[in-house]
Amino acid sequence: MEKVLQVIALIAVIVGTCFSLIGVIGLVRLPDVFTRLHATGKVGVYGVVLLLIAAAAWTPLGWGRALLLIVLLMITGPVSAHVIASAAYRVQVPLEQAIVDDLSAAEPSET
Amino acid sequence: MLTSVLTVAFNIALVLHIVMVAVAAWRIWRGENIADRLIGVELITTLTMAVLVLLGLIQRDSVYMDIAIALAALGFVTTIALAKYLADEQLF
Repeated sequence: MEKVLQVIALIAVIVGTCFSLIGVIGLVRLPDVFTRLHATGKVGVYGVVLLLIAAAAWTPLGWGRALLLIVLLMITGPVSAHVIASAAYRVQVPLEQAIVDDLSAAEPSET
Repeated sequence: MLTSVLTVAFNIALVLHIVMVAVAAWRIWRGENIADRLIGVELITTLTMAVLVLLGLIQRDSVYMDIAIALAALGFVTTIALAKYLADEQLF
């Protein structure tokens, strides 16, 4: 049982660190704000949640807190990403390599 | 045997996450516009949470998880408040 939990913790830490690394590489390499937001959303929802699964498997008595933090991250991660994207569109951050902008046609009829 | 492998993996992951915090801080310093810097702030909060969880894993102590919960709540409120201030130019 101890060995199974250790293997689960090892795999979760390695996969979570890979997710975080890919997200940060995307933050540096991608062209504009919205695509960068797409990359950094993965750090919160996959990277830290996998680390928390490792913590739930390996830390004594820590699984309740880890579960609470997983639920908190699952709720707040997409909300904050959406809020940042909405604010960035509102202050007219330029879009790079965009083919179609659906919101620009919808904006005049709304106001 | 497996315990020492776990300790080495946790320490390597800790170093990698601290390097990623530095990259996000560089992104705030040399950001292209204000939304870019806001993404950097949110990413630093998330990665600091990851560093706290890894410290708890290394020391096998669950007190770090409490700090991570508080940081998650505070970081969420910070992001919402800054984004609303950015979009509406007022807070309330």
